[in-house]
Amino acid sequence: MILCDTDRKILHRLQSNLPLVSRPFLALSKELDIDEDTIIERVKFMIEKGYVRRLAPIINTQAMGREATLAAMTVPEDRIEEVSVIINEYSGVSHNYLRKGRNTHIPYNMWFTMSARDDEELHCLLKEIEGRTGLTVRSLPTTKKFKIGVRFKIY
Amino acid sequence: MTNKKEDIDVKLIKHIQEGLPVTKTPYKDIGQALGMSEEEVIQRLQKLLESGKVRRLAASIAHRKIGINANAMCVWKVPKEQVDEVGEIMAGFEEVTHCYERPVYSDWEYNVFTMIHGYTDAECEAVIQAIKKKTGLNDYVILYSEKEFKKVGVRI
Repeated sequence: MILCDTDRKILHRLQSNLPLVSRPFLALSKELDIDEDTIIERVKFMIEKGYVRRLAPIINTQAMGREATLAAMTVPEDRIEEVSVIINEYSGVSHNYLRKGRNTHIPYNMWFTMSARDDEELHCLLKEIEGRTGLTVRSLPTTKKFKIGVRFKIY
Repeated sequence: MTNKKEDIDVKLIKHIQEGLPVTKTPYKDIGQALGMSEEEVIQRLQKLLESGKVRRLAASIAHRKIGINANAMCVWKVPKEQVDEVGEIMAGFEEVTHCYERPVYSDWEYNVFTMIHGYTDAECEAVIQAIKKKTGLNDYVILYSEKEFKKVGVRI
């Protein structure tokens, strides 16, 4: 870990909105008591080194009119790599993880999120994955949201 | 996306979704690239945030790289009538980054999903214990990610 306190302070703040003013980093410099040039230089450094994936709009797929779901599959051990490659091909897939139940056995091991233009396309893509893999895809769309906001405690 | 206003918004988002320019005047620079004024860029982004189409204009952190290595998806069996109350309690934990209700099936009875991020598994488990205590729930499974095949931000 090579992030200094200044970086952590900047990183913590940048998980919330960048001010919508002409000089947003100048606005931040007043909040954080770090000068504008330093903030810009450190943000560039953290992007370049991969600590920050991107400083960009975080899109609400549903509000943009897209449909999304969390999909779960039961993939045999010896097919995990092959199936993951197929799933990752889809641009609508933003996350794909192999997960195991820690305290209880669960029926699914591959979990991915997929978004599409609309419900019809989403359904069609999941069916296509079923066809290509010969496995069942269980769709678990959100029925109620209590929280969405990936902000990490930085310390 | 039928009217012109939305087309311009889509063009704006597409232009910046890989990253805003990290400069003194990012909105002016975006405007220059797209042939619009700094004021228009700011106003459009403001409206996109207000309408909820853009959740935040913010940094996405490579959490594993900064040491947040544990990522537990904890799923809970919650009686229908308690879902609202329990969901709010779970969402109140700082380490809970996502909390959703999802459908159940014959082979899947866990209806409330929480994503918990921590620096260690022990930290995630402490949060789960605290949730159990606060909600009185006991039927849950912790799913740790064994392997990350893909993780990218949503693009349009």
